[in-house]
Amino acid sequence: MSTSSGDELHDQYKDLFTQDGVLLKTSVGRPVSDFNSIGMLCIVQNADGTKCIEWRPNDLITIDSDTQDQEWAVVNTVGRRQRTLSGNITSDYANLRARIIKIPLDDLKTFRITRNNQQMQFSTKPGVWQNTFYFQHGNAEIFVAYLKNHLKTAKTRHDRNTYMVVEPNDESQVLNKSFAELDIFTENTTDVVWNLVSNFKQRPYETTLEAFSKLTDIVYYGNEDVNGKRDVSEEVADLLTKSMSALEDTTSVTRSDEYEVISVKPTLPPRPCIPRGSPLSTEKWDALQDADGRIVEVEGVKQLIFRGGVAHSIRSTVWKYLLDYFPWKMTHAELKTLQKRKTEEYFSMKLQWRSVTEGQENRFSEYRDRKSLVEKDVNRTDRTHPFFAGDNNPHLAVLQDILMTYVMYNFDLGYVQGMSDILAPLLLLLGNEVDSFWCFVGFMEKIASNFDMDQAGMKHQLLQLQQLLMFASPELAQHLSQKDSGNMYFCFRWLLVWFKREFSHIDIMRLWEVLWTGLPCANFHLLICVAILDAEKEVIISRDYGFTEILKHVNDLSMTLDVDRVLSSAEGIYHQIVSAPHLTDQIRIVLGIEPLNLSMSTNSDPEPSTSTLPSTKPSQVELKEGNGNTIFGQEMDEDVVVYNGLRITIVTKTVWALLA
Amino acid sequence: MAKTYDCLFKLLLIGDSGVGKTSILFRFSEDAFNISFISTIGIDFKIRTIDLDGKKVKLQIWDTAGQERFRTITTAYYRGSMGIMLVYDVTNEKSFENIKNWIRNIEENASADVEKMILGNKCDLDSQRQVSKERGEQLAIEYQIKFVETSAKDSLNVEYAFYTLARDIKAKMEKKQKEASNPSGGRSGVHKPTLNDARKPVTWLSRCSVL
Repeated sequence: MSTSSGDELHDQYKDLFTQDGVLLKTSVGRPVSDFNSIGMLCIVQNADGTKCIEWRPNDLITIDSDTQDQEWAVVNTVGRRQRTLSGNITSDYANLRARIIKIPLDDLKTFRITRNNQQMQFSTKPGVWQNTFYFQHGNAEIFVAYLKNHLKTAKTRHDRNTYMVVEPNDESQVLNKSFAELDIFTENTTDVVWNLVSNFKQRPYETTLEAFSKLTDIVYYGNEDVNGKRDVSEEVADLLTKSMSALEDTTSVTRSDEYEVISVKPTLPPRPCIPRGSPLSTEKWDALQDADGRIVEVEGVKQLIFRGGVAHSIRSTVWKYLLDYFPWKMTHAELKTLQKRKTEEYFSMKLQWRSVTEGQENRFSEYRDRKSLVEKDVNRTDRTHPFFAGDNNPHLAVLQDILMTYVMYNFDLGYVQGMSDILAPLLLLLGNEVDSFWCFVGFMEKIASNFDMDQAGMKHQLLQLQQLLMFASPELAQHLSQKDSGNMYFCFRWLLVWFKREFSHIDIMRLWEVLWTGLPCANFHLLICVAILDAEKEVIISRDYGFTEILKHVNDLSMTLDVDRVLSSAEGIYHQIVSAPHLTDQIRIVLGIEPLNLSMSTNSDPEPSTSTLPSTKPSQVELKEGNGNTIFGQEMDEDVVVYNGLRITIVTKTVWALLA
Repeated sequence: MAKTYDCLFKLLLIGDSGVGKTSILFRFSEDAFNISFISTIGIDFKIRTIDLDGKKVKLQIWDTAGQERFRTITTAYYRGSMGIMLVYDVTNEKSFENIKNWIRNIEENASADVEKMILGNKCDLDSQRQVSKERGEQLAIEYQIKFVETSAKDSLNVEYAFYTLARDIKAKMEKKQKEASNPSGGRSGVHKPTLNDARKPVTWLSRCSVL
């Protein structure tokens, strides 16, 4: 008899989500005797389609013993959990039913999580928390995550744990509304949103990243004030969580397998395809300055440049900042003074070598050698470009003057081959001798170790590249080692002049400005190498290229590479690496991420392991912590949400998603 | 796939920065010259197959960056080279003086019996000449190395230089092969045919084709 009553009860609505072990702490208008009784907190869909949060006292329902241990369970619409009602309460059934607390989602205004995420309070009226529940098992996080599937919420500005219900609504409308508010899509929003949601199932990474790349601009250039930006990020996080919950089935399956896979053969998570953004435009750049010309949002500027580079029209200005010639926080007036001072400084250094007489030069072989080396290289730098072409081209003299002045600026380093390659695009863009010199100084600061007398800097980078490749593309790394190419010397040219010889003039400007941002990690230029090599993996391995063929093949890639594709896959590889469960401290150090084992010194790089796969020992530590919402990329300001085995990283303002 | 050559020789071009190593190589491999070449960063090689006494000899010629700083990297590619062109610029005294250093560099990094040749390049620029032909010849005698003045620009003696070096390598290999197949007459330490080698006809060809 009791069963029939139960079915009757359940026929009227569907449990969308239930959580056991929830204590009713307080409830306005309820007798105190009801307090502190244990029950089940549910999200329920009523027969008429409306939804509510419902708390049912345990007295009313006895859960089957086999499910009692579970903290929570998703109850889908078909396979409902079987429940029986114990005989002794049936007489009081009506009373018990009266003890059920219902909070219609339409009425819900606010909820908050307190006490270490174990307590949840609901309010349908501003200023009053009518119901307070205490989660005895675990915490309220999962409940909140599910609740947010059915509500559009926003965290309040003063309290991160308090959620305002923006609009309780059907999921599609919620998504529609969110996107409409963000004004990203010009097309019919319903179609876009549903395409997006259905794409999540098939192409989760690509879809997420595609959608969120479009958000970047909004985040920076919506009309929000500083606080407003935060809200957009929150909203984005909510949307992401919501959309990702659709993936739950697949992710939970892979999650359970994940750990075993690691111990056998570490594999990287799938590579997200990250579309490039549009270049930083004049309007955006102007908007990023305050009235006096200070750059307000430096990290934001860098993020934008990382995503899409710089529009050519403002390159000559922006490069001065990226190359540390102009400090970001200087006003126009201060910059003017700075430029004046730097101009004087430049010409005084130039005068130093200019005033060396022929006699002096004859008796100063070191100076003479350097001068002749500069001369030789200047005469063969980018001569096919119209700017440097032709006999007696005056720009060659400027190149020469800048490089000679640099010898005086940094006599210990002097002139090393490759420097003219570094300088030429700067002079070509800036046109001005003094500006080009100081930008060159800034660029050299970034890559000075490339020109070490003993080439230690180059060797170190080649070693790090080998380590990264071993992690990101082990098959290729193994092949290279077998073919005596494990030292990666064939990438020497790439690294020495930062791919100057590999890309067209237009493309190298784009690549360099992106690399100068220093995002998304240290040594991103090494990931550019990995990206280029990984794209050639099939050819190199399937044709069994040996020592010479590898070098030839790599050299012949020059001028055939697509800069956007390379940047995009390098970024994808970055995300693969940092979200890999078996990420090692060695790799963390290369990428400038705090190693887990802090005792590991940065200088004690072990020899590249060419025959063994990276140790899995640190990965176990990572796994543990990975489940606990922490770590990775601590230098970056990131929010990490771990959800059903899905790790979503929201880097401040710019948004992308990762899967662990 | 059938081999398009009988034998492969690995050659190396070394010398100071800007003496014309890449130009010499370009002249030999493409029969062209470009005054505004770019400097070589790192290392590269070009291939040309020549006919030497009826045998097709594939020359794999390695071109290196000249600046001393890069030597730690470039010397890694010396290994296995059978012939080395030491190049200086007749209009640059320093590059000539440095030939001695380059020879020392070879002794440290290449095999002892590598064939060598000295090239005095840019001999077309007679008005700017700083190193006379006689001094070049004198140096070559001192080291018992063959010498020739070249002009990559005017295509003077470049072909001759490579053919000469290749022919000397071939002669040396044939001599070694002979000694190896006739142990009583040859010096010790020379490669002897192993069981593996025995399956192939014992000629210098078989030896270099496995390279």
